[in-house]
Amino acid sequence: MKIRTIILFALLMPALAHAKLNVVATTPELAAIARDIGGNRIEVVSLAKPTEDTHFVDPKPSFVVKLARADALIEGGAELEIGWLPPLLENARNSRLATDAPGRIAIAPGVQLLEVPTALDRSKGDVHAMGNPHFMTDPLNAKIAAQRIADGLAKLDAAGAETYRSNLAKFNTRIDAKMIEWHKTLAPFLGKRIVAYHNTWPDFGARFGLKIDLFLEPKPGIPPTPASLAEVIAKMKAEHLRVVIVEPYQNRKTADAVAIATGAVVVPVAQYPGGVKGTEGGYVELIDYLVNAIAKGLAQ
Amino acid sequence: MIESFQIMKWPLLACLLLPGLLVYLGLHIVEREIIFVDLALAQVAALGNCVAILLGHDAHDWQTYAWSASFTVAGAGIFTVTKTKNLRVPQEALIGIVYVVAAALGILLLSRSAEGNEELRRTLVGDVLLVRPVEVGKTFGLYAVIAVIHFVFRRQFLALTLNHEPPRGARWWDFLFYALFGFVVTSFVQIGGVLLVFSYLIIPAVCGKFLANSLPVRLLIGWLVATLGSVVGLWASYVGDWPTGAAVVCTLGVVLLLVGMTSCFKHWRNNYKKEKLT
Repeated sequence: MKIRTIILFALLMPALAHAKLNVVATTPELAAIARDIGGNRIEVVSLAKPTEDTHFVDPKPSFVVKLARADALIEGGAELEIGWLPPLLENARNSRLATDAPGRIAIAPGVQLLEVPTALDRSKGDVHAMGNPHFMTDPLNAKIAAQRIADGLAKLDAAGAETYRSNLAKFNTRIDAKMIEWHKTLAPFLGKRIVAYHNTWPDFGARFGLKIDLFLEPKPGIPPTPASLAEVIAKMKAEHLRVVIVEPYQNRKTADAVAIATGAVVVPVAQYPGGVKGTEGGYVELIDYLVNAIAKGLAQ
Repeated sequence: MIESFQIMKWPLLACLLLPGLLVYLGLHIVEREIIFVDLALAQVAALGNCVAILLGHDAHDWQTYAWSASFTVAGAGIFTVTKTKNLRVPQEALIGIVYVVAAALGILLLSRSAEGNEELRRTLVGDVLLVRPVEVGKTFGLYAVIAVIHFVFRRQFLALTLNHEPPRGARWWDFLFYALFGFVVTSFVQIGGVLLVFSYLIIPAVCGKFLANSLPVRLLIGWLVATLGSVVGLWASYVGDWPTGAAVVCTLGVVLLLVGMTSCFKHWRNNYKKEKLT
């Protein structure tokens, strides 16, 4: 026991010397942006894995430990994490992460969410009351996220405020430059319709002028049925739709079957850096991959 | 150390207090050779949840509990009626059928409803790591009441299980047994999930059967096995950062393996001794 304590202290010493902020992000893309903004002043971990369905994340003891020790929690905050984050927080009992504490950094309140339902009707499927929670697929929303993260970190660590501000400026410049490139890549496909497994992509579609509004799921969160698939296949044939996008945790077999029936291609995509090979670098690398993979699919 | 205790405190309490009754009922279940009746009753109760969700109730409304409870009682009724002396159709087969049909019915019902899968998953896959203190308290209270009933009427229940002279009104005693059992199982499923409830019921009971002949000794061994499995499993889950319920189940599996090997060794040695004597 003593030895373990000593080792623990030895491991903690460098961290204590720098007094880095302990930051927990619910999802990997928020962690990636936090890393860009916080640099070496913060230590970031993501609870969800990039290949996981973030509507359902299986809790592990380390999640509670991480939340108990965290100085800040970054969450999407649009009910995406509602199934698993509250019980974890309840167990972690960390007052720094209370709903109104400065350590709780939620992105959604700063974002104009799409698809906000006028009336909550459970018969419409797994609908989120605040709007579509997958808003981070729009790079301009990522800029808002970066801003909110920089503000939040500056509040917790005033000495680092300057670093956070300059890192935020760097991030924004990088996104702005890339936006031109991304728009150019997708320009030939303006207005094209793409089929997705789940309604994850309205923000991405709206930003780049793509219609990603035909889904393999009959209703959000409800697995495809034979009738719903037949309907999708008929629509795809009638409109000559050529691309089906599918995320790592979604049923690839269903997408493949639909693609074979319609002569379309299946393009693997992900909402999170690391969800698809080659996107491990961070948020910009992820959008780079998405734009190029979808453009390539549409060009075929 | 203190942090690990803080985090694992409630799961540990749940895994130490609640399996006491499960182990005892497990002895009944193993003796009656109706191993999968717990899974079937849990699935039937989940079907009740599905109906409540379809009717627009929330997962934590009292109506949902009422639906789930009445389906559990109905399930108890089914198992009481199907317990026959007719050996051409073993009861295990009927239990399996009830399980599969209840599961399939749930899928059918929820295919038309929203958030159904999520709710169904939640009712069947509880997570003991995030158990709430209130849940542990409430369930412990329920278990205490049921344990008292079982203690008071132990002669009737045991006679039925061991196929001694059945008490008068055997059917009703059977029904009471299944109904109580249903409540025990479904309330623990909400906390720990199906895998964990099955393991706590069956593995300690089987260990007891391996090592002893009398019921009280088997019960003691079962409690020991359950406690050991809980403590080691929770510790492993914390140290190795594994999903908690599954870690406890695997630990119980390892304990059973050790007990089985010990028992085999004992048999072998006894036989060897006998051979030597003759």
